Amino acid sequence: METFLQLVITGILVGSIYALVALGWTIIYKCSGVLNLAMGELTLLGAYVCLAFYTWGFPFPVALLATLIVGFVLGLLTERLFLRRMIGQPILAVIMITAGLSFFFRAVVGFIWGTDTRVFTPPVFPTEPVRLGKMVMGQVYIWSFLAALVLLLVFVGFFQYSRWGLSMQAAADDEMAALSLGVSVKRVYALAWAIAFMAAGVGGTLLGNINGLNISVGYLGILVLPAVVLGGLNSVPGAIVGGITIGILQNLSGGYLEQLTPGGVKDIAPFVFMVIIMLFRPYGLWGWEKIERV
Amino acid sequence: MLKINNIEVLYHEVILALKAVSLEVPAGEVVALLGANGAGKSTTLKAISGLLRHENGKVAEGSIEFLGERIDRKSAEEIARMGIIQVIEGRRVFEHLTVEQNLKVGAHLGGNGAMVRNGLEAVYHYFPRLQERRNVVAGMGLAPLLIKEIFEIITRLHQEQGIAILLVEQNAKLALAVARHAYVLEGGRVVMDGPSEQLRENPDIRDFYLGLTDLGARKSFRAVKHYKRRKRWIT
Repeated sequence: METFLQLVITGILVGSIYALVALGWTIIYKCSGVLNLAMGELTLLGAYVCLAFYTWGFPFPVALLATLIVGFVLGLLTERLFLRRMIGQPILAVIMITAGLSFFFRAVVGFIWGTDTRVFTPPVFPTEPVRLGKMVMGQVYIWSFLAALVLLLVFVGFFQYSRWGLSMQAAADDEMAALSLGVSVKRVYALAWAIAFMAAGVGGTLLGNINGLNISVGYLGILVLPAVVLGGLNSVPGAIVGGITIGILQNLSGGYLEQLTPGGVKDIAPFVFMVIIMLFRPYGLWGWEKIERV
Repeated sequence: MLKINNIEVLYHEVILALKAVSLEVPAGEVVALLGANGAGKSTTLKAISGLLRHENGKVAEGSIEFLGERIDRKSAEEIARMGIIQVIEGRRVFEHLTVEQNLKVGAHLGGNGAMVRNGLEAVYHYFPRLQERRNVVAGMGLAPLLIKEIFEIITRLHQEQGIAILLVEQNAKLALAVARHAYVLEGGRVVMDGPSEQLRENPDIRDFYLGLTDLGARKSFRAVKHYKRRKRWIT
């Protein structure tokens, strides 16, 4: 029973990071219909940017804030340089651009920071574990959870209450109607990319703190896919629940099935789960059932 | 004052939707645009509001002026900011937002918080039922207003707020009752225009759009259709 609880709680803590990245992914899909294949590389890039600030001697909170700002600017820039001219073009072409972006960013990261695993030194969070009854929890997990939670709340608040957040939701709902009310769709797309970069950057940073930072952090970008499919591709709460569910699932399968198999179950389980979900609920838990007229 | 000078609208560079359309909406007046399905009413509105580009259409010739400034090259956002808002046909609410969030999106150009609040209050003044349902998700639990109620509110908005309105409505009788001036579109051209009283008395309008004979009695649909085949303004 303790093992189970331990696995579930760790799953939730890690899952909150997935939720953050999933939210960034969902925003782009929701607002522009683009399947962002470069999400993993965005997390990678953000994590390395934060590492750079940290190694230059900035305190971690400042480094994280700087990462958010850099992410925001990079997001606007990416949209302006690569995606703006694709507005109105076939959506598949735009998706291929994001595939191209993923290779581009990966190469940029490799070029600047190399491929060796880096760690945040000195460690950002105290290394001594916290005991909760019989459970043992690394502090890094708890702090990561809190950081992810704060950012999730900020983003959700932004969407629900701010003028720009609302117009983003409106554009996602009915682009033509939003245009007719004077919502600038270009700015909505740009903001979506900026938010995706920020969410991914923080997600990557937190994960890099847990496991160390190398190219494999970019794997998170693929892991986001089952999370958003579970929640419904265009649902913000869905992305959050989906991310946490995937975190729990990954930990449970790692804890219970790993010893029965040659290994790798932990990585496969979310995708098996995704396929099963798609069989029964192709729109996910909270996705909009959009009937496309051809 | 909104002025359309002789515009030609093309979709996909080749499909001619409007040809030599000119019309005027003087400040603070209600003008009606009549026409059958596919006559070009929606295209005219989209040309004004800048939404054409979004559907791969463009104003190829002529110009559209608002307050003395050309707007046919401006983006939908700029045009909305200048004060022209197109109410798109159909029940186009943002279904996943609440009633109040819908209104806030509409008010997002309005500047500071106080102005948005005033705007919301004005809307609730005209649509009291909305206030009760401000936190209901718009996709559920909102019933469309009856045409008659809409016309009443349009008239009030015009009279109390001095808003100029270009009214596009299939119900020609109601439209002519509210508007001072009207234009008739057919096949992408303006085929007739004049003060509403004059159009109401025009025998062709009575037959085509009001479904009335000279005696004021309703003609059968078949007779109207027959007539329609026989007589056209454009051949």
